[in-house]
Amino acid sequence: MGERPRVYKTEGIILRRRNLGEADSIFTVYSDREGKFDAVARGVRKARSHMRGHLEPLTRTRMMIARGRSIDVFTQAETVTSYRAIREDLERAAGAVYCAELADRFTAEHAPQDGLYALLIDTFDALEAGAPLHTVRFFEVSLVALAGYELQLDACALCGARLPEADTLLSATAGGLVCGPCRAGAGGGRVVSIRAVKVLRHAGRAGIDSFAALDLGEALARELQAALGDVIRHLLEREPSAGRFVDDVSRLPVGATLP
Amino acid sequence: MSEGAGTPEPITRLIEAFHKLPGIGPKSAQRLAYHVLRTPPQEAEALAAALRDVKARIRFCSVCLNITESDPCSYCQDARRDASTICVVEQALDILAIERIGFRGRYHVLHGVLNPIEGVGPEELHLKELLQRLGNEEVKEVIMATNPSLEGEATAMYVHRLVAPLGVRVSRLARGLPSGADLEFTDDLTLSRALEGRQDF
Repeated sequence: MGERPRVYKTEGIILRRRNLGEADSIFTVYSDREGKFDAVARGVRKARSHMRGHLEPLTRTRMMIARGRSIDVFTQAETVTSYRAIREDLERAAGAVYCAELADRFTAEHAPQDGLYALLIDTFDALEAGAPLHTVRFFEVSLVALAGYELQLDACALCGARLPEADTLLSATAGGLVCGPCRAGAGGGRVVSIRAVKVLRHAGRAGIDSFAALDLGEALARELQAALGDVIRHLLEREPSAGRFVDDVSRLPVGATLP
Repeated sequence: MSEGAGTPEPITRLIEAFHKLPGIGPKSAQRLAYHVLRTPPQEAEALAAALRDVKARIRFCSVCLNITESDPCSYCQDARRDASTICVVEQALDILAIERIGFRGRYHVLHGVLNPIEGVGPEELHLKELLQRLGNEEVKEVIMATNPSLEGEATAMYVHRLVAPLGVRVSRLARGLPSGADLEFTDDLTLSRALEGRQDF
């Protein structure tokens, strides 16, 4: 650690904020070069703070940071993209906050994970440009793979047998689809439709734009959300807090957005 | 904390009590405790009484959930205030800020904002009470005065979605540049909203 420069520049997405003392906040950032880290912004809650708007959660920000003894300190911050369309739409905001929480929970501090920053940016860019909410499923499938838990979708995750083109058991414990004979040893799971299986496979192979362009329909989108929710819950050993919020929002009456 | 074995128990207890307050570290807690020790007995009694009273006499207004001694609170009782407008705020302290600028409608305190990552969901806020009021009172407009942060905006949008079907107008505080701001350091989101919300002289 001793040889690292005392001040460094990086670019990242603000994942979360916690208030500290009277006017400071601690931000959790996922950055391209440093991975995830916490840093404090002094006086950021004062009305005249120069950094205030540049450190809002879900913002893509260029920042300069001084290494501190216990915690790093922001010295400058400048917005690259504020993701306004995401912020101004409750469903999109909930989806993006959910992605941010997963990025936080699936990573350790100062351990950059290859491809994760690009995945976050691609997902937020797509949502910002109006991609449907099922784009979040692409994020989940890709994140799980990046974290080393790629779902086995082409053959049985337990015995490697070929899978019939039919509804199949998806087992989080087994790490993918499980064939009929192996079901008893799969440790539970959820039977998913063959259409859902195909969409999951597509997420593993296609780019985000091609995935976002799929016309899933509501039932299939819900099925995928539930199936991947099982996988995420199993890996994290907890329910992501933002997942509950996504559900709360989905129960709201559909109405116009604020002017 | 580094209270030696020789520190009398009441002082240790007071230090620990101060230490629990937000923003008070172990050293400040010690200093405050020894300050109390030096003050005349009446002053220390007054402090103790104030602490007791604040818990015994202050409660939430049954209408707007503001903190109050009398229920309903003075804002809800005041017949001169415009009952058709409800200003929704995050915390009771925000009422003081809005009172300062001369707002004379009614209030509703949510006691928090939606914070999905920290697990604060809609059921943790006092939204049910707001919806009840909209059913019982003659309300024409709900002004969302939550902070212009991700959490505040999400809360405003959420309330809007809940309230709009009831046929009540929902408005939002304008967003833009604070006075004394520096354009050079202003974030793009604020600046673009300021430009969109520009007004003729």
